[in-house]
Amino acid sequence: MSTPTAAVSPTLTRLAEERATGVLVRDHGALYLSDGQVVHAESPAAPGLDVLLIAGGRLGRTGWDDAVARAGARREVGRFLVDSGQVTGGELELCHLAALHDAAFFTLGPAGGPTRFRYGVAHWMGSIRPVPAADVAREASRRRGLLEALWPYPGVDTAPLRPAPASPGASRRQRALLALADGVRTPPAIARVIGRPAFNTLVEVRRMAAAGLVETPPDPACTPRARLPDWVPDFSDDPDIALLRRLRDALEASL
Amino acid sequence: MANTETALKEALTIEGAVGAALVDYSSGMALGTIGGGKELDLNVAAAGNTDVVRAKVRTMEHLGLKEDIEDILITLGTQYHLIRLLKSRTSAGLFLYLALDKDRANLAMARHQLRKIENELEV
Repeated sequence: MSTPTAAVSPTLTRLAEERATGVLVRDHGALYLSDGQVVHAESPAAPGLDVLLIAGGRLGRTGWDDAVARAGARREVGRFLVDSGQVTGGELELCHLAALHDAAFFTLGPAGGPTRFRYGVAHWMGSIRPVPAADVAREASRRRGLLEALWPYPGVDTAPLRPAPASPGASRRQRALLALADGVRTPPAIARVIGRPAFNTLVEVRRMAAAGLVETPPDPACTPRARLPDWVPDFSDDPDIALLRRLRDALEASL
Repeated sequence: MANTETALKEALTIEGAVGAALVDYSSGMALGTIGGGKELDLNVAAAGNTDVVRAKVRTMEHLGLKEDIEDILITLGTQYHLIRLLKSRTSAGLFLYLALDKDRANLAMARHQLRKIENELEV
């Protein structure tokens, strides 16, 4: 079980083993641990639990703000939302798991910078459903593999979404995303508008990029193209007349 | 609304059930699994069956069928695999996945019970 965690974040493995409580912070987000398990995660790239719950339609913005104001200080916002009948336990759990794995995916990404941990910090949301750190790490690495398999160009994840000039054949879901592509919004920004997890949007964006429905920005990190081998320029300038004749004959025959 | 654990436990009480999972079909993640074991890795089944659901959704769009998929049945030599798509606003994009032992299962009853579990999850 410890192998996938170690591959994603050795620090997380160690903290899980020592059953630590506190917050793990990296450049793209934070994981809150309680007793070595992940209880909450946040990332600027991922819509928060509030966004997902409000998009679900059962909870209004004022209801959320009120819950944070009244139960935030004692770190029981989740329980307050359920006890006051604004969301059901199941709804809260589903949205919470979606938000947690979404934010964890961005937090645990490669090139996430140094990992810091502050012991003793707890999140005001309170505990909803703790997830073993190994499960969170395994899921983050599965997600990375899925994106790689769909279209191995991470540039499309963070660049403004640009539909290709003609994009027929998009699915209903994809058309909804394309309708929000205004040349400024990035996939995470679009995810926030529709109130769905950012990773789910990345999956659709990579699929669309692979199908040529959206543009793939040039990869700045890509290595310069390999030079032609030296023998290529050594070809004589004389055209190969015989080859050209054969080509012409073949073309004529196929017309 | 039942929580995911309760819903999955109930799914496992269906006659002939060998495993069940609640799956987010955009990300391929199993939000919860129960049963399964060595012969049936439910996390792998969850991720793989998202492709089944997506293919069917696409086909319906191509056919111009403006209907929702209620469930998908896959019949193997010794098992039934049932996929039930959830429809409430919070659970949209999720499906319940149930693997049944063909010899012990009553398909009509299993579909009925899965529908009931869906309702409990969504109310």
